[in-house]
Amino acid sequence: MALEDKKRIESLDPRISRAHLSGGNHEDMTGLLHFQTYEVFHQNKRGAQHKHVGIVHAPNSDMALLYAKEQYARREQTANIWVAPSSCISATEYADDDIFTTTPEKLYRNPATYKVMDRIQAFKERGMTPSDEV
Amino acid sequence: MYGNAYIDPNEKFSSEEETPELLAAFQARIDAGDKIEPQDWMPAMYRKQLIRMIEQHAHSEIIGSLPEGTWITRAPGFRRKLALMAKVQDEVGHAQLLYSAAETLGKSREDMMNDLITGKSKYSNIFNYPALTWADSAVIAWLVDAGAIVNQLANSKGSYGPYCRALERICYEESFHLKYGHDNVVHLATGTKKQREMVQAAMTRWWTPLMHFFGPSDKASVHSDTLMRWKVKMASNDAMRQQFMDMYIPKIWDLGLTLPDPLLKKNTETGLWDYTEPDWEEFKRVINGDGPCNAERLAVRRMAEENGRWVARAINNEEAEHVRPFA
Amino acid sequence: MNNIDALKELLYKMADDQLIIGHRNSEWNGLGPILEEDIAFSSMAQDKMGQSEHLYNLLNQLGEADADTVAFTRNAPQFHCSHLVELPIGGYDFSLIRHFLFDFAEYLRFEALKTSAYQPLAQVAKKFFGEVKYHTMHANTWVYQLGHGNEESNGKMQESLNFAWDYALGMFEPGPAEEMLINENIFIGEEALQAKWLEVVIPLLEKSNLVIPEKSSWAPIYGGRTGNHTAHLQPLLSEMTEVYSIDPSADW
Ligand SMILES: [Fe+2]
Ligand SMILES: [Fe+2]
Ligand SMILES: [Fe+2]
Repeated sequence: MALEDKKRIESLDPRISRAHLSGGNHEDMTGLLHFQTYEVFHQNKRGAQHKHVGIVHAPNSDMALLYAKEQYARREQTANIWVAPSSCISATEYADDDIFTTTPEKLYRNPATYKVMDRIQAFKERGMTPSDEV
Repeated sequence: MYGNAYIDPNEKFSSEEETPELLAAFQARIDAGDKIEPQDWMPAMYRKQLIRMIEQHAHSEIIGSLPEGTWITRAPGFRRKLALMAKVQDEVGHAQLLYSAAETLGKSREDMMNDLITGKSKYSNIFNYPALTWADSAVIAWLVDAGAIVNQLANSKGSYGPYCRALERICYEESFHLKYGHDNVVHLATGTKKQREMVQAAMTRWWTPLMHFFGPSDKASVHSDTLMRWKVKMASNDAMRQQFMDMYIPKIWDLGLTLPDPLLKKNTETGLWDYTEPDWEEFKRVINGDGPCNAERLAVRRMAEENGRWVARAINNEEAEHVRPFA
Repeated sequence: MNNIDALKELLYKMADDQLIIGHRNSEWNGLGPILEEDIAFSSMAQDKMGQSEHLYNLLNQLGEADADTVAFTRNAPQFHCSHLVELPIGGYDFSLIRHFLFDFAEYLRFEALKTSAYQPLAQVAKKFFGEVKYHTMHANTWVYQLGHGNEESNGKMQESLNFAWDYALGMFEPGPAEEMLINENIFIGEEALQAKWLEVVIPLLEKSNLVIPEKSSWAPIYGGRTGNHTAHLQPLLSEMTEVYSIDPSADW
């Protein structure tokens, strides 16, 4: 009995006092359920792209959407949200990121590398003569 | 192919093939300022330390919502009531973000929660002290969150991608907490005699826990050197404490409030604050479970989980495929 | 009773309902089941509190004291809230059922008020309609899932519904000037609102695998609108105003 009393929690928080808790229990909490995770994609306005912002734990997509709204859109301007189970996402491996290494070097894909004005200018300056007749 | 399954909590993180080449490449990536992502190879010690650190940070958020929660049903006036609710909500949100970041490393939220409730894992010591009056909740919101910001801003420049991303969002929200807390303290300090007395008493009560907040001086060790090199630990406890004192002591004094340390002053020669070492024995006692509110904090979290159990059981989808979150 | 008094009566009962249920639901802050749910439930409690503040501001424009004074200095007999919102939070089953029953009523009330002849109220109804809509989505998703969850959850929800039902009917206690509000196109009246509400919630509850109490047994619990409250309200108010009343003239 005395031990029980000692473990009784006297809280300053009225919500906790109402719950009449005891302390000192260090047992494992067995059977904590683990929901699957959903990846959350947020669109701030119509016309913008959805961006990955994080995850929520939820038992199904309806709940995931309800939660995504409050965890990822309670401050931000928002037009739309997607959720997808993490298990449905496929990704490349960082270990293979060398497959991307030459990507930035492929200048022929870059519009800014096409500079014809110099050439036209030179052509005009030499009286528009064919190059093999200069 | 990397497996994306959760790590079995009973399995020790293997230190498989930590060859000098792999370690060097890992270090080079960090030195180059690159972030480490969950799917990357990483030393077992790096994974273990990060899980421990992010998990403790997450616990500190969820437990940290309790001292201020003490006043949630009693906040005076709409403005304070709404802001306090929003702040406590943010702290729960921070826990959610941080548990998620830790999960990318392979430990499930439930395993972390269990380790919290059973006392196997720690959280910030400061939340084991009670918020005796409304003014305590104001001092917490201002100065505990200020301390957290110093710590979190440092950590947000660390090497682990998901942790940095979570911290970026968290730091943004913390700045609301800080402003709210400061506003609250300023109102009390510039208010009636009674309000001033309340806030002065709270300030006096919280000074020692605040000095404890960043932990004792770090002892130099190979271990902590490695963590610094891996950008897991970003600043020394003393450096963070000094930064905190530099930023906030003048603001506290500015309100005509006093702090219970006669030695407190900025040393013009060293550029550092002189102070009386807080009682580190008390710190150790409290962190090991013998503080004024340790038992309550854990019992409350246990209650929340227990209350939620039938709910979770009812809506759980047993067929769901469980993988670690990606980011 | 003139127009203004009738309007004030309507605003007071709405604002008091929202304040008290917002306060009750805030008791879950940081203690809720499932972190994500904790966050969502807190947002909705904040919404309710914010809405009540807006309605007190409308009352302020009609000559009543400011929102803080009105909310934090009255005693139970001066409150116009229904008994439903005063009840302690109970388990999550009761809190969710109350949230469902209350928020669908509020949703329909706001929908009707969007076209109110009293413009300031119509504006508030339009402004907060989206918030209340989310609340009903949240409430309905939960009630559906727990109704269908397992025997335990269905049993708890059914028990809470049985307990809450007559209190919920009490939300529609007619005021002293229903006719006037209706004739002036300020509000459709409690009777019409209750009819709409029954039309909406009964099929949703049935879809959620829950049984509506036998109609012959319905006994609406009135009294709240005229200041006769349950024993739960005064302790709630004393707690809510504990700090404020240290010095109501101070700037907190
Ligand atoms: Fe936080
Ligand atoms: Fe905090
Ligand atoms: Fe914070």
